[in-house]
Amino acid sequence: MSSRFLKWSRVVVALAVFAALTAAFVDFRELVPWKIGHWLGEIQFVPSLVALLTGASLSLACIIIAVVTLAVGRVYCSAICPLGILQDIIDRLTRWLKRKSRPASFSRPHTWLRQTFLWTTIIAAVAGWGGFALSLIDPYSNFGRIASDIFRPLATLANNSVVGLADKVGWHGLFRVEPHWAGTGALHQPVILLILLVVLVVIGGLLYCNTLCPVGTLLGWLSKHAVFRLQIEKSACRKCAACLKVCKARCIDLQSSSIDFSRCVACYNCVDVCEEQGIGYRFAWTQKVPVSKIAPDAVRDPQRRAFISKTMLGIAGTVGVGRVLLASEKLSDGNTKPTPNFSSVICPPGSASVERFLDRCTACHLCISECPTGVLQPAFMEYGLTGIMKPRMDFNTAFCNFDCVRCGEVCPDGAIDLLNVATKHLTKIGEARLFIDQCVVVTNSTDCAACSEHCPTKAVFTIPYGNNLRLPSLNDDLCIGCGACENVCPAKPDKAIVVTGWRKHGWAKKVIESKATMPKPTGDFPF
Amino acid sequence: MKTRRAFIKAGLAIGASLPLANLEKLFAADLPVTNASVSAAPLRAKSILVAVRDGERAAMLDKAMAALGGMEAFVKKGQTVLVKPNIGWDSPPELGADSHPETVKRVIEMCYAAGAKSVSMFDNTCDQWQRCYANSGLEKVAKETSATLVNGKDGTLYREVEIPSGKKLQKSKVHSLVLDSDVFINVPVLKHHGGTLVTGCMKNLMGIVLDRGFYHRVDLHQCIADLLTLKKPTLNILDAYAPMIRNGPRGKSADDLVVMRTLLVSTDIVAIDAAGAKLLNHQPSDVRHIAIAAEMNLGTMDLEQVDVRRFKLA
Repeated sequence: MSSRFLKWSRVVVALAVFAALTAAFVDFRELVPWKIGHWLGEIQFVPSLVALLTGASLSLACIIIAVVTLAVGRVYCSAICPLGILQDIIDRLTRWLKRKSRPASFSRPHTWLRQTFLWTTIIAAVAGWGGFALSLIDPYSNFGRIASDIFRPLATLANNSVVGLADKVGWHGLFRVEPHWAGTGALHQPVILLILLVVLVVIGGLLYCNTLCPVGTLLGWLSKHAVFRLQIEKSACRKCAACLKVCKARCIDLQSSSIDFSRCVACYNCVDVCEEQGIGYRFAWTQKVPVSKIAPDAVRDPQRRAFISKTMLGIAGTVGVGRVLLASEKLSDGNTKPTPNFSSVICPPGSASVERFLDRCTACHLCISECPTGVLQPAFMEYGLTGIMKPRMDFNTAFCNFDCVRCGEVCPDGAIDLLNVATKHLTKIGEARLFIDQCVVVTNSTDCAACSEHCPTKAVFTIPYGNNLRLPSLNDDLCIGCGACENVCPAKPDKAIVVTGWRKHGWAKKVIESKATMPKPTGDFPF
Repeated sequence: MKTRRAFIKAGLAIGASLPLANLEKLFAADLPVTNASVSAAPLRAKSILVAVRDGERAAMLDKAMAALGGMEAFVKKGQTVLVKPNIGWDSPPELGADSHPETVKRVIEMCYAAGAKSVSMFDNTCDQWQRCYANSGLEKVAKETSATLVNGKDGTLYREVEIPSGKKLQKSKVHSLVLDSDVFINVPVLKHHGGTLVTGCMKNLMGIVLDRGFYHRVDLHQCIADLLTLKKPTLNILDAYAPMIRNGPRGKSADDLVVMRTLLVSTDIVAIDAAGAKLLNHQPSDVRHIAIAAEMNLGTMDLEQVDVRRFKLA
């Protein structure tokens, strides 16, 4: 295998994955087939792991990634993980802007920080709030939020600004699209993360992947024990440091002619650049794991002790803070529930229950990007702390399209089941409540019936009222909680019909009406 | 003297209600006319309503238009045409919630055959607009006929206009295609409506304003009538081939439809809606926006006063 082949195949795969996934997340016109986003989401490590562990689907991508990593290192991190590729792009852009090459240096690993983040995530998952931890820290989901919440509205604005021009030159393929901005509460996380990424990339290469990212740490541990590892042929090495200059992870130590393979993301830049062809894969299982200052292995090593105590302290601190926050949230939740199944926040059809949804969803926002009406919006504190940034149904913005099951189609981690349309038509995510005193028909004595007009199941219907008016009326059994009535109710300041969510979703009654008959059977004109 | 003054007044009023071309005829007929015949209806140009039964959609439309002198009577060479179907719902043609593609397609073909420079369509939809356009079958029609299907949700395409004769709706943002097109053809589908009893031609024009909610909040029926004082369609084509007679205007299933195989065409939007109401077994006066529009002299609700031309194709 030629040395160039490795790097360029990595670059080609990475760019293809990144372009396709970004297109899926940014697509505001439903031009990109939904399956592209779904597939590329499904092959990501965390969504696949969540789907497998929760039994949502037999998703083997995580196992394949682990096996590949154990064989040849962290190929996932620089070729498949969109956040990893995004950092490469940021790296290129910032270096191009500053017209500066990377410093030729080796960075020491921040082992205790890495372990703290990994173990905190694992303990959080075991303690039952993995959904929360993973949604914060999964690299794919973090990329999804940046793409969906920042890139997408920006692309929409860019599109809107050129529609007029396109029309003038006679090209009518473009049209304006309402940009959907996440609320400021939910938007701050992706914005802060994007800024943090830029800063980290500028100061220290792949600091995110090799310090904060639990997937990076986990795969790094496997990579450290990989069957084949990139190694420097000491006899060939002239110590020209060309490899150091191109190493994204800054994990090449020329003094000891070693590569910290736990931090190497298998980008193959060094393989490509080495004129002596001195870097390449070597079968490494016959060797001992390199003992060096990078990974102190001596049992009584004081450094190791410090590492363990720091890690433990970090975990304890994070878990403690989380516990306190969660406890306070449960308390306030308990006080506001009038009925056991009541929920002030509504999760999408197919998510089965708020609890299951929060456990499984990693908040990648693919469903938010793909939702044709924009009814899915990222939550801020509506679900409480554990549900921050997870999608919720926002009936102020829009309502759920009756025949649409797109969120279930695209969801990569099985948080939203794929319903068939007939099942979706009966899936009850909430129930409308009518506040007839606020209804326009009552307050204004004029016809309205916007709610009944939009109701797809006719749970809201009209009955004769007053002087030739029609008043909305509700059949709870038929309501699926799609929010159309609430969205269009014109009553001000408070809507006269509001959907209340169900914590555990249920079923609406199916009504089959007989065939309608002619109002006045006649073979002639009635006029 | 009193009778002569009354006669002149009446004559002026009638003259104002007639197209310029007919004025000569009116004055030519001046002298021999007696008082009695002036106050009676015949001198006032009667609205024409063509009603066709028992044919396929395109065939009924062909028959109706032929009875009105063909599409050429409405669309002149080089004119821009707006065809306004009902595309409000993400619903397939067989559920009858949107204007049927067959009817709309034939209308567009007729416009082009008459020499139209361009034909455009849009609707400010209730459901998500791209799905409405695609699933109603009208996107396909636009492609097949090379009509332009325009985004009805783009607020920048609407212009705020004053509606001085409106009682409740005195200004509104109206789609520029309505304001700027030479010819405006209204092609709705007849349906039951939970709020307004019946939805036909007048109600379909809610889809040309940006803020539909204003209508609902203020006075649905009055606003529907008020908008007509701004601009009335050149021609109204009401498809009653298989009207939805319950669960309207969205409908639940094909069981909500009854097959009537009827098509109505008129330049009088009130008369055509009155006939539509009768097809659904309602008195036109019970449908408040029809009654209000008639009262505001926007058309004739009393079908006795309309020149109804009936055709049966089978």
